[in-house]
Amino acid sequence: MSAFLEIKNVSKRFGGLAANSDVSFDVGLGEIVGLIGPNGAGKTTLFNCITGFYAPTSGDVLFKGVRINGLQPDAVCRLGMVRTWQKVRPLAKMTVLDNVMVGALVRTHSLRVARQVAQEQLRVVRLDHKSHFLAGSLPIGERKKLEVGRVLATKPELLLLDEVMGGLNQAESEEIILLILELKKLGLTQVVIEHDMKAIMRLSDRLVVLNSGEKLAEGSPTQVATNKDVITAYLGEAVDA
Amino acid sequence: MSSLLRSLRTPRGFSAPAFLAYLAVIGLVALVPQFSRKPLILHMWIMVFLAIAQGSAWNIVGGYAGQYSVGHAAYFGIGAYTTMLLLELHQIAPWYGIGLSMLNAVLLSVVIGSITFRLRGPYFVLASISMAEIIRLAALHFKDLTRGAEGILLNGIPPLETPWFTVKFLGKVPFFYTSLGLAVIVISVTWFVQHSKLGYTFQAIREDQDAAHSLGINPTLHKNLALMLSAAFTAAAGSLFALYVRFIDPNIAFGIDVSVQMVLICIIGGIGTILGPVVGSVVLVLLSESLRNPKWLVQAGLLADSSPTVAFIEARLSNAHVLFYGVLVVVVVLFAPEGFLGLLRTAVARVKKRLAAKPTPPSQPAAAA
Repeated sequence: MSAFLEIKNVSKRFGGLAANSDVSFDVGLGEIVGLIGPNGAGKTTLFNCITGFYAPTSGDVLFKGVRINGLQPDAVCRLGMVRTWQKVRPLAKMTVLDNVMVGALVRTHSLRVARQVAQEQLRVVRLDHKSHFLAGSLPIGERKKLEVGRVLATKPELLLLDEVMGGLNQAESEEIILLILELKKLGLTQVVIEHDMKAIMRLSDRLVVLNSGEKLAEGSPTQVATNKDVITAYLGEAVDA
Repeated sequence: MSSLLRSLRTPRGFSAPAFLAYLAVIGLVALVPQFSRKPLILHMWIMVFLAIAQGSAWNIVGGYAGQYSVGHAAYFGIGAYTTMLLLELHQIAPWYGIGLSMLNAVLLSVVIGSITFRLRGPYFVLASISMAEIIRLAALHFKDLTRGAEGILLNGIPPLETPWFTVKFLGKVPFFYTSLGLAVIVISVTWFVQHSKLGYTFQAIREDQDAAHSLGINPTLHKNLALMLSAAFTAAAGSLFALYVRFIDPNIAFGIDVSVQMVLICIIGGIGTILGPVVGSVVLVLLSESLRNPKWLVQAGLLADSSPTVAFIEARLSNAHVLFYGVLVVVVVLFAPEGFLGLLRTAVARVKKRLAAKPTPPSQPAAAA
């Protein structure tokens, strides 16, 4: 059986700038793959290429064996792959419940069903006590939770999380980590972009490291942590004494 | 029937008292011509109803889907021209003409939407203005079809004959009921939009198009759907307006002030709400008609016939309504960004809070808004 998500030689160029060049890796069913790299390494661009916001300049993205580059984001979402945004995008003038209902309405035409699904998902991300607040009034920690709850309501099979822990305090991050692990137990495949190294080491089954748009390394967290190239990319070249 | 009602009932949706109140208000308003047939008073009502229809129609695409079109005169005018031309040139009765004009506007909206919806924000606004201007200039230029700046004067409307009754479109009363009917239809359509999947989709696009796109919503399709709905009812209002006024030319039908007025109605009343355009229409029409034609105040018994105010307005302020619009918009945007309706809502909430604060024991936690 082929991998759940296959990224094959994906390149994305903006004029002369190569944001991604020749990136390839697979994501297996039920796996958590961590995507790391310094700022500007092309992580978010890759997410945009995978979810249909950008068309890759070359290369292919296969989801469940189907070639999906060229599909629009809404079609990708209906296929079962959905992403969160690094810069959260709450639907500010709608309530928290309505925000999650928008996600749920991808799978149903009934507002009643959508409301039930939304309430369930708000319980999962522990935001049900705020369901009638306007999304724009939430603090950042709860906005991140809302972002996750909203994508969960679309009943995804593959979740792409773009720095869901950015800007959170330790207690809030811990909550999100536990949530991600809980979702994994339920069989949800996830690709996680994260800058918090401790968190990503703990979460990921495998790590993919991007640097300057290219794949630098791939492997288990310990393999990657001891990889010489990775250390160089993050900390700079060692100075010989 | 009961399953239909159940499907209408949502936590913030169908409530029997509100529905009965709505029916009661319509019933009361419908009785007005039984008591007063003073022409200027009926004229005011008709203008308010037509404004409600236009404002509510604009609200679907502007208020709910968040696409601030300032080119809705295109649909208003195409509705007016389609009905008038069909009647004058081909003797096609207006009740078919209105249907065809709505169809025509929907076709036009697909063309305009597929061009302008590629743009977002201010660029979309500018493109929508230019689309309406192109059509206005085309209407001025293609004289063979539209008679250009000469305009179209209506000679008469054939009576509507049904098996039960015959309606002669003489005087203001038939227009009172048809425009009231149109306003009720558009308000009801807005209600259904707000309480359906479509409404959630539109609002998600308004709040954040990219987020909506990533959550499985096709923004292009739904923006076009919103525009099609909106265009159809704007055209119906345009048709009725033309039949009522009996004369149109490109500037009356396609002028930019027609587009701007629809936006103002919603901004002043409260954008993206069902009742906002109703409130906005009352405020705007009262203001503009009072300045243009203060005699209605005399007929309403508010001013004496010899009142110096009437003479003053007629002499000095007859074209000042645009100035007053401007001042009103500035005031609303500064002090009531959610419109009159928003102002009312915060006032009610404040009163409720004050009432609740006094007698309630402190053990009861404050409910979320």
